[in-house]
Amino acid sequence: MKGKSAKILKDGLWANNPIFVQVLGICSTLAVTNNVRNTLIMAAGVTFATALGSLTLSAIKGLIPRKVRMIVQVLVLSFYVILVDIVLRAYAPAVSKQLGPYVGLIITNCILMGRAEAFAAANPPWPSFVDGLANGLGYGLVLLCIAVVREFLGFGSVLGIRLVGDWFTPWTIMIMAPSAFFLVALALWGAKSYNARAEARRKAASAAARPAPSGAAK
Amino acid sequence: MKKDSIAYVVAFTFVACAAFIAPLALANEGTKGRVEANRLFASRSAVLRAFGVAYEGQADAEAKYASLVAELPGGRGWRAELDGASYLAVKRSGAGLWGTITMVVAADARGERLRGLEILDQQETPGLGGRIDEAWFKEQFRGERLGPAGVVVDQAGTGKGDPDRENGRVDAVTGASRTSGFVQAIVNAAVAEIRAAGGSK
Repeated sequence: MKGKSAKILKDGLWANNPIFVQVLGICSTLAVTNNVRNTLIMAAGVTFATALGSLTLSAIKGLIPRKVRMIVQVLVLSFYVILVDIVLRAYAPAVSKQLGPYVGLIITNCILMGRAEAFAAANPPWPSFVDGLANGLGYGLVLLCIAVVREFLGFGSVLGIRLVGDWFTPWTIMIMAPSAFFLVALALWGAKSYNARAEARRKAASAAARPAPSGAAK
Repeated sequence: MKKDSIAYVVAFTFVACAAFIAPLALANEGTKGRVEANRLFASRSAVLRAFGVAYEGQADAEAKYASLVAELPGGRGWRAELDGASYLAVKRSGAGLWGTITMVVAADARGERLRGLEILDQQETPGLGGRIDEAWFKEQFRGERLGPAGVVVDQAGTGKGDPDRENGRVDAVTGASRTSGFVQAIVNAAVAEIRAAGGSK
């Protein structure tokens, strides 16, 4: 059980990362990553909603009629997202104002529905929770890397703390949506190239380990 | 009852909706007071900042607002007696580049000198037009003398802030000429409103 959870966690964080491999949740990657603080809150919101959403949907999957399956998935995921929105509005009004409609739009993040449909609908509650958690964390990790680059180059700061002197000219393009496209594309390219090389090395190693067919070399 | 029968689908959907929506309604109801207090604090603290009144924390801001600021009838704005003079503030919205810019603008009751301004809401480009919310930009307006048309947001300025309080000009944000123009229009519309309310032309 422990090994299975670890594998699910590893899949969500790297091998089946929602952004690198599944290419899901790209819209919010563009919208919120020009600022590390907002990115962290967005990632926490998505992780909370996808982990608990998957857990709940998996727990009640035996009761859900096939005809209204997707409607119920949206209902459950919306419940957690709106809960996040209510808490932010009451206890972190400044963050709530800055993120504006993006918190509510977590509902439309394909990762949530994707994991609910692809994993939680066919697996027990605990693995579904781990899968939701792993995918939320995998999404957050990529977003965070992009946000650090964008905030540093766009404002000269990280988490609002200025890291360079007045000599630094901010790259305004880094704060605007196009830079997120460039950076997501670069991250996808880097991750896919790394995985392809690792796969090729694995294949070469297993081919070398296989005994040569008899009579092949004389 | 079969899971795919109409009766089960209807009953399940009804129960599921009630089960998930009821806690949300309760959470919303339970935090309503707090959300309203946050909204009031955001608005009142912006008025205090426009009037140039310093405060520390929400309780201090509420106390200073209650003792120094009076709301004008009909929600037309605010009046404050500060340093022996009477000041008026109004909330004004206008077009921005990407959305509406809303700000509170304060000036003396005759509309001769600005007291200050505070941005309540804006969706301008972060790093460009969005810099109108930075302190250096807003501080330029504090105590600025107003001409007949109000203030000029100068596109030919240094972009670092105009320290001269007598020339009726402030520096525009470099690279955000349109947003700066929109700010000028909103501030001057607010000044006209203050002059009308203060009885001066």
